[in-house]
Amino acid sequence: MTDLLQARQLLADAITVEIDVVPDNARIGHFERWDSLVHMRLLLSVEKRIGRQLDPDEAVRVECLSDIAALLKNNNPATL
Amino acid sequence: MPGSVAIETARFRLRNLKPSDASERWRGWARDPAVMHPLNNPARDMSLDYLARYASSFDGKNRHLIGVFEKATGAHIGFFMVEIDPVHRLATFNVVIGDKDWWGKRVVNESRAALLDYFFERRSIEKACGSPLSRNFPAVLNYKEQGWRHEGTLRGHRVSAIDGSRLDQYQFGLLREEWRLLRKAKNND
Repeated sequence: MTDLLQARQLLADAITVEIDVVPDNARIGHFERWDSLVHMRLLLSVEKRIGRQLDPDEAVRVECLSDIAALLKNNNPATL
Repeated sequence: MPGSVAIETARFRLRNLKPSDASERWRGWARDPAVMHPLNNPARDMSLDYLARYASSFDGKNRHLIGVFEKATGAHIGFFMVEIDPVHRLATFNVVIGDKDWWGKRVVNESRAALLDYFFERRSIEKACGSPLSRNFPAVLNYKEQGWRHEGTLRGHRVSAIDGSRLDQYQFGLLREEWRLLRKAKNND
């Protein structure tokens, strides 16, 4: 599963919808279902996946799905 | 009250809170860790008298305590604290949505948009500021979604009221001209 697909799945889980509902280019302010509670669930699930808390600079930079994918990629144990 | 706020949005009424707005509902928010901890406040019991005195401590000129009321039912669901620096024409925003049934329903940005219009256009404010804790992810989403800029991260800037650890805090800002452009862009959509 690619990092972007994993990111889509995490966002879909945070919204509690099927992955097909989440577009590849989902972005804060443009994808209506990405609301404040979804954002909290999403970032907590990313932290669970990567096994550590996001530092403040990482967390505040998250604006779109590709940002989540990059976090997953950069914290993949296989690539560290 | 000088400069009283009385604004309507699509779903809400916003107005300065009065001592008579102190309620069991408001007391319940103060006792709820889920409401208070993201703001770095301990959950605690506040008497109605305490809340009434707190409401009356805002002068409605440079310090505003503005309630958010659902139009359909009149229910009080939260409030903004807005502090004005008249010299530098700054407005610093804090917000509490105490009614958890309204979390995730864009109450903050609908209400804050109306307050930004009011303070920028009617009170000569030129910059709005907000300082959420870095772990307050919902608040951060709201600032970013509304177009505020992340201006910096203040490392270990607060002592946690919960466990004494040091907490990071963000600084968000929004200039009046930026807000006008955002409004214009939205109206052109």
